[in-house]
Amino acid sequence: MTCSYRVPVSSRDRDSATIALLIICFFTSPALLTADENDYYRLISIATPKAQTDSRSKTWKPAPEGLALEISGMAALDNSRVAVAIRKGEVWILDGVYDDPPKNVRYKRFASALHEPLGLLKHNDSLYTAQRTELTQLKDTDGDDVADEYLTVAKGWGVTGHYHEYAYGPKLDGDGNMWLTLNIGMGLKGNQLTRTVRDPTLGFRQGRWRGWGMKVTPDGTMVPVCAGMRSPCGIGANAAGDMFYTDQQGNWVATNSLHHMRDGAFFHHAEALASMNQPGSTIRGITSVPNGAPLPQALEQFPQLKPPAVWFPYKKMGQSTTDIMLDDSGGKFGPFAGQLFIGEFTQASMSRVFLEQVDGEYQGACFPFRSSFASAVLRMAQGTDGSVFVGLTNRGWSSLGTASYGLQRLVWTGKTPFEIKEMRAQSDGFELVFTKPVDAQTAEDLQSYTMNSYTYLYHSTYGSDEIQQRDLDIRSVNVSVDGLRVRLNIDGLRELFVHELVAEGIRSIGGEPLLHPHAYYTLNRIP
Amino acid sequence: MSTRFIVATIICLTLPTNRTFADGPFVAAFDRFARHGDIENSIGGRLLLSELSCTACHLTKVQELQPKGGPNLDGVGNRAQPEWLKKLLDSPQTTKPGTTMPDVLASLPVKQKKATIEALAAFLSSLRQPYPELKANGATPVPLEFWKHGNVERGRTLYHQIGCVSCHEADDDYEVVKIKPSPIDQLLEQLDPDEIAEMGLTSAARRVKSVPHGELPTKYTDKSLTFFLLNPEKVRPSGRMPNFQLDAVDASDISAYLLRTAKNEAATDNTESARSSETINDDVKLVARGRKLFVEMQCANCHSVTGLKPTRHSKPLASLQTGSDATCFGTPQPDLPHFEFDELAGNSVIAALTELQRPTNLDAAKSLNFRMLQLNCYACHERNKQGGVGRFRKPYFETVGHVDIGDEGRLPPPLTGVGQKLTTSWMRSVFDGKAAIRPHMHFRMPQFPKSATRDLPDLFVQTAGDAQQPAEQAVFPGGSNADMVEAGRQLMDAGCVQCHSFKGNSLPGTVGVDLAGIANRVHPKWFYDFLLNPGELKARTRMPTFFPNGKSQNKDLLNGDTEKQIAAMWAYLRDLDRQPLPEKIIHARNQNYELTPTDRPIVLRTFMKSAGTHAIAVGFPQKVHFAFDAEQITLAQAWRGRFLDAEGTWFVRFAPPADPIGDDHVRPPGGVPFAILASSLQPWPTDSETAGYRFRGYRLSKDGVPTFLYRIHQFDVEDRIQPSDDGGLVRRFKLRRRQASPEVADRLHLRAHFGKALVFEQVGKYSDNDGMTVSVNVQPGHAGELRNNDAGTEWIIPLEVKSETQIKLRYSW
Repeated sequence: MTCSYRVPVSSRDRDSATIALLIICFFTSPALLTADENDYYRLISIATPKAQTDSRSKTWKPAPEGLALEISGMAALDNSRVAVAIRKGEVWILDGVYDDPPKNVRYKRFASALHEPLGLLKHNDSLYTAQRTELTQLKDTDGDDVADEYLTVAKGWGVTGHYHEYAYGPKLDGDGNMWLTLNIGMGLKGNQLTRTVRDPTLGFRQGRWRGWGMKVTPDGTMVPVCAGMRSPCGIGANAAGDMFYTDQQGNWVATNSLHHMRDGAFFHHAEALASMNQPGSTIRGITSVPNGAPLPQALEQFPQLKPPAVWFPYKKMGQSTTDIMLDDSGGKFGPFAGQLFIGEFTQASMSRVFLEQVDGEYQGACFPFRSSFASAVLRMAQGTDGSVFVGLTNRGWSSLGTASYGLQRLVWTGKTPFEIKEMRAQSDGFELVFTKPVDAQTAEDLQSYTMNSYTYLYHSTYGSDEIQQRDLDIRSVNVSVDGLRVRLNIDGLRELFVHELVAEGIRSIGGEPLLHPHAYYTLNRIP
Repeated sequence: MSTRFIVATIICLTLPTNRTFADGPFVAAFDRFARHGDIENSIGGRLLLSELSCTACHLTKVQELQPKGGPNLDGVGNRAQPEWLKKLLDSPQTTKPGTTMPDVLASLPVKQKKATIEALAAFLSSLRQPYPELKANGATPVPLEFWKHGNVERGRTLYHQIGCVSCHEADDDYEVVKIKPSPIDQLLEQLDPDEIAEMGLTSAARRVKSVPHGELPTKYTDKSLTFFLLNPEKVRPSGRMPNFQLDAVDASDISAYLLRTAKNEAATDNTESARSSETINDDVKLVARGRKLFVEMQCANCHSVTGLKPTRHSKPLASLQTGSDATCFGTPQPDLPHFEFDELAGNSVIAALTELQRPTNLDAAKSLNFRMLQLNCYACHERNKQGGVGRFRKPYFETVGHVDIGDEGRLPPPLTGVGQKLTTSWMRSVFDGKAAIRPHMHFRMPQFPKSATRDLPDLFVQTAGDAQQPAEQAVFPGGSNADMVEAGRQLMDAGCVQCHSFKGNSLPGTVGVDLAGIANRVHPKWFYDFLLNPGELKARTRMPTFFPNGKSQNKDLLNGDTEKQIAAMWAYLRDLDRQPLPEKIIHARNQNYELTPTDRPIVLRTFMKSAGTHAIAVGFPQKVHFAFDAEQITLAQAWRGRFLDAEGTWFVRFAPPADPIGDDHVRPPGGVPFAILASSLQPWPTDSETAGYRFRGYRLSKDGVPTFLYRIHQFDVEDRIQPSDDGGLVRRFKLRRRQASPEVADRLHLRAHFGKALVFEQVGKYSDNDGMTVSVNVQPGHAGELRNNDAGTEWIIPLEVKSETQIKLRYSW
């Protein structure tokens, strides 16, 4: 792709232009200055209870009325229905969900007696879900819209009985395989230990394949693929059909992250290596695990360890990543077609990810996208009209929002927000691609940007601070003639560091500030 | 449903108020009580001495007169805007009406005053500190730059609901849901002031003035106010502004509401970046001069700044001459700070000073009262007919969901007699903000600094009269035993369960204090007295008496002995953690979570002790149920009666195993049902994996009965278990060969029974010692054989499966 860039104006011109712009800004309407996410992506509540319930209570109860719609899996069926799995173990089909307002939603229970299902996929005229113990195909054989066959597609992973051993999925890859991810158990004890496997060299003990990503081939064979997951709540394919998962901060996991799942890759959580010597394992020969090294050094000491494609800096980009959804609508969901959207539990929001490949490995940037959902965002599914159904539940942890669970729909209003659409790594900096042409004066002003970079510690402790933080010097800025691209020439890029950008000063040609001026690029490799 | 109205419209009764104080410092309790003669003049004066921090310069050893002090000024450079600091120094009362800060520069010549302000402001603006990092985890959301995204409307609601308006002014047009006024309030509305005075209700009828905020948007930024609200004690260690334990989002919402007038004005954004070192005059010399002045002018006596100590003090309090002309509250004097006092304030201070010349210690009751005046506890709490939220603030105290449970259910609790009621350890928890036991109230008891409340529990106890509350043995000399505890549990159903919850469980729609932990909160003597006659200890309580005239209404339990019954209730509640819930609550819980099959079977996949982590429990309307272990392919448990409680499986994060409820629990013969054995000597496989099983799910018939599907080598098995007509279970296997390989087929065996010792009943029927009898519809001559192994005896039947075979087993117990 070629693109022509403008020659920067002299700094003197720039100053006067900035002043002129400030004056313009001062007199523009406040609405423009304090842009609201709601102007671009509108939230419609399909079913949300009126009040928050105490999400961490030992005696948690659903709202007194209605179905406890703690959505843990979701599949858009057609242009009037979605199917949702709920945590108490049922699958419901909701009809009339595209109505605006959704005044007449019909509920039909499709399946029950599932053990905490945490995914839902429509495939080959069936629904598929991962329960705690197995991947199950739900089949309605007599056409009454109620499942009468609960067929075990795959099982055999360890289930010790520890609550944290969630099983997520399935999602389909480009070859028709169904993917699952298996949470690690935590602090197993007593009887739970009798259901574990142990790696004799490393001494780790976990249920079999705990902390692994698995795929189930179309003929029903379950194959372990990659390992080192802690709480892999989200799975999803990108436009190329490659599979990714999200992980959540905790022991061994510095902060939330997005990973490309592929054969033999190891991500973070060392206890997943309890299954290293099980038949079918794709990982071998690890005799020690570094604990306490900065990530770049840890990667040198531990060749199987693969850095995430994207780190989500803690708090800044949320606190618990969840689902992965590809915008496959070809533009019906706004200007981000082909990008990935990531659910966020604690902050009840959604993030956005741009990925590119450098030397065949995925890396990229994350951006805030939409906040203020009614509860923790656990699942997302794109509807036939491009809008996104968002499944909510915060039980067990906590989240922002007004409810403990529910279903909402996010609809693009047709207005294009001023956003950094892409952030691309270059040998000497980054190229930013915007959704709208930028105002050249502010875009060329070095003061419009601040950047810094940092990495993390790889250790068994819960989460990591940002370490080796350093402010970055932006040497020059070039703006493309069409105003859609800005090249930042930067001193001191560091491989395996997160490069944080705040472009607070930049304006679109219409004078708008960025709806979200923050971007975080995980620069594993400098092109 | 509920009528909404505007509070302002009911505030029709205006009272004559003394406005002369409006320009001077505002001390809430002085204004509310001393100004109207509700407390002695000298107490009012003492209050001014501490609350205006007179004793920061005029030192005294009298403990209760220690100065409130001003804000800690570390970090004031990023907390307060520089222009505001200058204005405050120039004229404290104009800039922040009601401030307790004196005008220190009042007597300076104009030019010198200006220079002094410049120097002090430069110094203060140089006192910058990084904001703390807020801890975040899966349970505490801390969004990116949360202080920028405060929601004004939500902040407004919080401000009016959680208790800010106990001290501060409410919005005129904030709408509350109309609540029926209490009888006293109704009375007050009907009476004229003279009648009110005659009835001694003047204090209750009076409008209570608010602690002024000042012009917050000119002082704070969104960030600095948000961080102040998150930890007020850091800035104001006196605890006069307590900590409402807000999370990041709550704090930014309230901040956004308080700063709302500043929104939409591009110029007011005054965050750190805008006030970088370039924009602030960090003239080193000027700062140094300000720093020197700060100490010299005795600012450091009230305000702490790291590294600075007061070096000058004025005359000690004890040696102040009450007749002196040169006072801090007369005409401004050179070198003296100036307070704008009216006559009453001046007289009060003089009265206090006069009294203090003869050293008199306040007794416990007076000390307690004085502490409560200082901390303004009376803004929320009534004690001995003094204080309380006041008539005009009551509407803001709402019950969650607007359930009507009276003032008791929405107002902060009165503190009359609280020393007899609460244990000191619980009082400490209350002050530490760790005592949120009233989830039905929007109002929150805030957290107070330990230094401000350390002496309060003891003062409450001393004021209660008896030095020590009687111990449990003294109150309930009969002791307790398991029968008493159970009787106590049964007594709960008489009434307690109608309003109280138990360990988080309650009857539907019930709002009230959870009785878990009550024995750690209240004294046994109070518990006894309160149950005997609630109204006597707590006026207008909704708690009814269950012992009218001291007589129990329940003659069946413990012979109707009142003392024993109350002792039993105490015994049960004290041990509540280990005791079953009251029966009515269990019943209500079961309505929600007990699975009761009525017209169809109910299936539940869960964890079970008997059936492991792959358990599938199936309950039938015939009241015979079983649990199938889908990992070990074993019929793991069977029982009769009630089926199962699903709460843990459905809604409990820690996924506890589900326990069957009913009776006649039995473990049917364990292990896999079929095995391929090379010879009859080969031991039965110990697990399904080595036996070559693969579980394939289940199919539901039209009537909802599951048929389990599994595969063992080349055989597909269908396994359907359901109640038999004699109260046991009948199990039908259908085996189908997937491909022909006769030699292996001959080695397929069924293990029909397995026990320590099997007893022959008849052909095809054996019992074990535990009462489980199994019968199989065997062909004559194919009844199999018994064989012994280490664990007992097995009944093995070799099977011939040509293409399809059906086998029927009956289990009875």
